[in-house]
Amino acid sequence: MMRYAIRHVTRFAYAEPVAFARCNLRLQPIDWPGQTVEDYRLTVLPGGRTAPARAQAGLAHVTRLVIEQSVHELTIESAANVTVDRPIPVPEAGDPTLAEIAAMARASRDASPLSPASYLYPSPRIAFDEPIADWCAEELDPQRGCREAAIALARRIQREFAFDPAATLVDTPPAEAFAKRGGVCQDFAQIMISGLRAAGLPAAYASGYLRTLPPPGEARLVGADATHAWVLLWCGPDLGWIGVDPTNGIWMATDHVIVAVGRDYADIAPIDGVVLGFGAQEMDVSVDVAPQD
Amino acid sequence: MASRAQSLFDAGLIADRWIADYCGPRPRGDVLCSAGDSDRAAWRAIFEELAQTAGDSLSEAGERAQRQAEDIGTGFRIAGESEERPWPLSPIPLAISASEWAGIAEGVRQRADLFETILADLYGPGMLVRHGHVPAAVVTGSPWFLRPMIGLNPPGGHHLHFVAVDLCRGPTGEWRVLADQLRAPVGAGYALENRLAIARTMGGLQSRLNVERHAPFFAHLREGLAAACRRAEPRIGLLTPGRLNQSYAEQAHLARYLGFLLVEGADLAAIEDKLYVRTIAGLKRVDALWRRTDPRLLDPLAFDSTSAIGVPGLIDAMAAGNVVISNAPGAGVLESPAFAAFLPALATRLTGDGLRLPNIATWWCGQPREAAQVVDELGSMLVAPAFGVPTRALPGGRPVLGAELDDACRAALLADLERRPQDYVGQEVVHLSTMPVVIDGELAARPFVLRVFAARDAAGGWQVMPGGFARIGGEADVRASVMGEGVRSADVIIHGPERVAAVSLLPPVDSQHLRRNPGTLPSRAADNLFWLGRYLERGEALLGIVRVLLGHSISADAGGALARSTIERIVALLAADGAAPAPVGHRRTELVAMARTAMEASEGGWYSVRAINRQARGLGAVSRDRLASDMIRLLDAPHPTRGGLLDRAGSLQRRYAALAGLSAEHMGRSDGWRFHDLGRRIERAIKVVQMLRCFAAENAGADDLSTLLDLADSQISYRQRYLTGIARVPAVDLVALDPGNPRGLAFQVEVIVGHLARLPVLNDDGVAEPQQRIATQIAATVATAAPASIDADMLERLEARLYDLAEAIARRYFLQGAEPLRAGGLTLA
Repeated sequence: MMRYAIRHVTRFAYAEPVAFARCNLRLQPIDWPGQTVEDYRLTVLPGGRTAPARAQAGLAHVTRLVIEQSVHELTIESAANVTVDRPIPVPEAGDPTLAEIAAMARASRDASPLSPASYLYPSPRIAFDEPIADWCAEELDPQRGCREAAIALARRIQREFAFDPAATLVDTPPAEAFAKRGGVCQDFAQIMISGLRAAGLPAAYASGYLRTLPPPGEARLVGADATHAWVLLWCGPDLGWIGVDPTNGIWMATDHVIVAVGRDYADIAPIDGVVLGFGAQEMDVSVDVAPQD
Repeated sequence: MASRAQSLFDAGLIADRWIADYCGPRPRGDVLCSAGDSDRAAWRAIFEELAQTAGDSLSEAGERAQRQAEDIGTGFRIAGESEERPWPLSPIPLAISASEWAGIAEGVRQRADLFETILADLYGPGMLVRHGHVPAAVVTGSPWFLRPMIGLNPPGGHHLHFVAVDLCRGPTGEWRVLADQLRAPVGAGYALENRLAIARTMGGLQSRLNVERHAPFFAHLREGLAAACRRAEPRIGLLTPGRLNQSYAEQAHLARYLGFLLVEGADLAAIEDKLYVRTIAGLKRVDALWRRTDPRLLDPLAFDSTSAIGVPGLIDAMAAGNVVISNAPGAGVLESPAFAAFLPALATRLTGDGLRLPNIATWWCGQPREAAQVVDELGSMLVAPAFGVPTRALPGGRPVLGAELDDACRAALLADLERRPQDYVGQEVVHLSTMPVVIDGELAARPFVLRVFAARDAAGGWQVMPGGFARIGGEADVRASVMGEGVRSADVIIHGPERVAAVSLLPPVDSQHLRRNPGTLPSRAADNLFWLGRYLERGEALLGIVRVLLGHSISADAGGALARSTIERIVALLAADGAAPAPVGHRRTELVAMARTAMEASEGGWYSVRAINRQARGLGAVSRDRLASDMIRLLDAPHPTRGGLLDRAGSLQRRYAALAGLSAEHMGRSDGWRFHDLGRRIERAIKVVQMLRCFAAENAGADDLSTLLDLADSQISYRQRYLTGIARVPAVDLVALDPGNPRGLAFQVEVIVGHLARLPVLNDDGVAEPQQRIATQIAATVATAAPASIDADMLERLEARLYDLAEAIARRYFLQGAEPLRAGGLTLA
C-alpha cells in the first residue's frame, strides 16, 4: 500500500487583465477500486466562487470556478492525500477472451459513466482510424485473454513509439501521432484506445499522476513531473477495469493515481472553460507526488 | 360569366386529359391513379385549377409556382450563397383526405408522446435500460446522447416542443415512418412558403377543397413555448448558428413569422443562472430558446468546451428552471436507426398499444440473433449505420443495399459486422408510392417522402401541422434508399368536406394589449443596421467621385472637362480611399481605367463601389428579419453589366437613391431604423468633411468648388441662393453650416443629435452618455462656426471627432470588447 501527498499547481499569467472567467476544474481525484482519497484542498488565488458543477460527461469531481474580478494572474492549487493499494495484475488462462468482453459490453444494462457501454464508440477526440485499427489488431485476436492482450499492446506501443514532446500538441489527433510514431502520454493512450475500440472493446481514458521519485534502485517513470494519461480496459464483471500505461509499457498499480476517467481528454480536461479578455496567456504547471511513510 | 363557364369547362377537359395520360401506363402504387372516387375528385380539382391558371401548358404552371415561391422567398433568402432554394417547388400539391390525415396525425401525436416518455426515463430514472428494454449501447452509441443532461428536469416539464416525422407511403397506401427528427427539424418554414406560393398560383383551391390552414399550428407552437416559461410575457429567441448555416433563411423567416428574436450565441449571456440578450438598452431576460444549433455547441461549460458559438452557463440556467430550451439538448438520442429497432416493443410496453404509424422493420446488429439474421438475409436487406454517423464499412455514412455490394465491400462489411456489430442496422428495403410532377412539360410519376410537423400547445398536448413538407425524388426508382433527400418539394393539402374557418396568426383583439414599440433590439442587430447605413453612404459617396471623374474623362467635349489641379485632387482622394491605384499620368484612358477599377473591381483588394456593396449585401443578409423585402431585393441585385461605364454608374446611383428612399419611407421608426439612419448620417458627415478638406482649401479654384457642390449634391441649392459664380465662402457655408441643406454637414449633425436623444440610455440620472456628449459638442462647433473660420485644422478636428462619435456609439450599444480566450488544459507528458 502507498500513501501519497499530491500537490498540483497551475499558474496562468495574462498579458492584459482578464475580467471574467468561468472554468470547470476536474482536479480532485475520484475514489476508484484500489485508491481512496483521504483529504482534499483546492485553493484559488486571488479567489473566486467555487461550487460543485452539474453532471458532466466523464467520471470526475467537477468544480465550477467563477472569477468576476479583474486579474493578471491566476493560481489554482490542488492538494490531496491519497492511499493506493492495487495489486499488479497477472494474466491467467481463464481470463475472459476479447470476444467475450466485447459481447458482454454490448449487452450491458448500464448506461452510466462506469459502464463499459459508455466506452465502446468513437468519442470527440478519439475517432476511428483505419491504420491504427489494423496495427493494433495484430495484438487483439478475439480469442486472446483480455489482460494478456492489453499489456501486450501497451508494451508494443512503448517499444515502437518515441516519447517526443515536440511531436504533438494537446489537440493533435491520434491518427497524426500514429503516423509520426511519436508523441506523449496522451497520444499513446489515445492511439491504444482507438485501436481497442475499433476491435469492439470498451476502453476508457484515465488521467492522473505518477509518483514523482521512483523507489530506490528503480528508474524514474516517464511523465512523472506533470499530469499523466493511460488506458483502462473493461475486462468483464469480475475483473472490472484494468489499467495499462502504454507510455511506460506497464500495468497501472501503486505508482498511478487516477484523477478522472472519461471517453477522452475532452471529458476530463483538468481545467477548461472560458475567460473573457484580450491578449496572450501563459501557463505554468507543476506536479509533485510524494510518497508518505 | 359565359367566358368563365367556358374556361371552367375547358379546364375540366384539360384536367381529364392530363389525368388520363398520366394514369394510362398505370404507374404502380401511384397516389393519384390508385385514389378512390372522393380523393380522385380532389386531384381533378387541383388539375382543373392548374389548367385554369396556365391553360394547356404544364411548364407554364410549373414556372408560375416557382416564381411565386421565389418571390416569397427573396425576402429572407441569401443571394449568392444559395440562389436556388434547396427544394424547388413543384406546382402540383400532394392531396390527402381529411379522414386519411386524421390517422396520420393521431400516429404522429402518439409517437411524440412516446418519445417524451422515453426521454424522461433515459435522462431520469433509467429504468428502460436497467430492465433490458433498451440495450445501454443503443443509448451510448448516439452522438446525440448528452450525459450532462441526466437528472435535469426540463423547465416546463417537457423535453420536446417541436418534432417532425418523415413518412413514406407504400405502394398499397400504408404510411410508415422512415425517420424521426427531434433535434431541430428543418422544413416548417419551407412548408409555409410552399403553401403561400400555391395559394397565390391557384387561388380557388383552398376554399374549393376546404384546405386546412397553417396559421393556427404556428400560433400553437408559439403559445406552447410561452406556456412553458415562468414569466407571463416571455421573450423567446430563435437561436441560429448564423448566416453561414444552410437553413439560415428559413430560420430568419420563421423568427419573423413567429415574432421570436433571431439571436446567435454571442448575443446571449447567462448570468447567475438566468439568460439575457445583449440589447441596446442593456441586458434583457430571455425565457426560452427555440434552438437551431447543434446541441453539443450550446454551452462550452456543459458540452463541447471548444464551442465558440455557445453560451457559457446556459445549461445551468436551464437546470435552474429559468430558460426553456426547445428541444432539450439530448433529445436526438432517439433519432438513431438503432433506436427505431426497439420502438415497437417500447410502444407496446409504455402505451399499452402498438405504434399507430409503424416503423420500417429494423434489426440492430448489436444483438447476436439480429446480427445473424442480417448476415443471412443480406441480399434482401438495406444495411445502414446504426447511429447515423459513418462507420468503418460505410465510411460515407449512407445506407447500402446488400444486393448491390461488390465482393470487396461485402467482405469489408461482414468483417466489421464481426468486430463492431453495434455500428450497423439491417432494414427492410422500402418501396415508395409515387405522385405526379411536371418534367419537361409532361406529367411524370416520382417517389416522395412526407415530413409532418407537430408542436406542443399551451395545454401540453400535440398539434399536428395540417399538411407538411413533401420531398420528391429526382428519378423514377421507387426505393427509399435511392431517393435520398429529394430534388423538389410540394405543398401538402388536406382536403375535407367541411368548410375551414379563416384563422390568421393575429390573436383575438381583447387578449392583446397594444404595442407601438416593436420590442427588443439586440446589440448585434443594431450594429449590423448601423454599418449597413454606413456602407450604403460610403458606396454612394465613392460612386459620386467616380461619376465626376468619368464626366471629365468621357463627356469632356460636352463641357465636363476639369482643371488639372482638380483632377489631381480627385485622383488623390480615390487613391487615398484605396478604391483604385493612382495612375501614372492623367490621360483620359488612364482616368477611365481608374474610374472603372474604383467602381467595379471585384478582386485585387481595391475598396471599390462593388466591394462596398458586397459588404452591404452581407449585412443585409443578416438583417433580413428587420428589413423590407424590397430593400433586400435591391441589396441582392447583381452589379450592373449593361451599357457603358456611365450607364452602369447611373444604374448604381438610382439603386442607392431607391435604397435611401425605402429606408426613409418604408422602415418603421423603430430603434433599428434609428441605428440605420445614424450610420448613414455619420458616414455622410464624415464624407462631407473629407470633401471640404479636399476641395475647399483656401486656394481652391472654381472647378474645385464646383466639384464640391457636385459631390455634396448642392449645385442647385447654390444657384438658387447665389446668382454670381462660385465663391469659396458661400460654398463652404452651404455645404458645412447651412442646417437647411439636407446633404450638408450641419443637417447631418442635427439629425444625429436627435437620434441619440431618443435612443435608450442606461442610467436615468439625466447625465449625458459619452456618445451624446460628443455629438452635442460637434453640433455646437458647427452651429457657432463662421464660414470664413473653417480652415484645414478645424476640418481635421471635426473629422476626428466624428470618428470618436462612431466609436462611442459602438462602445455604448454594440457587442464588443471581450473575446473569449480558452483556458487551456495542462501540459502533458
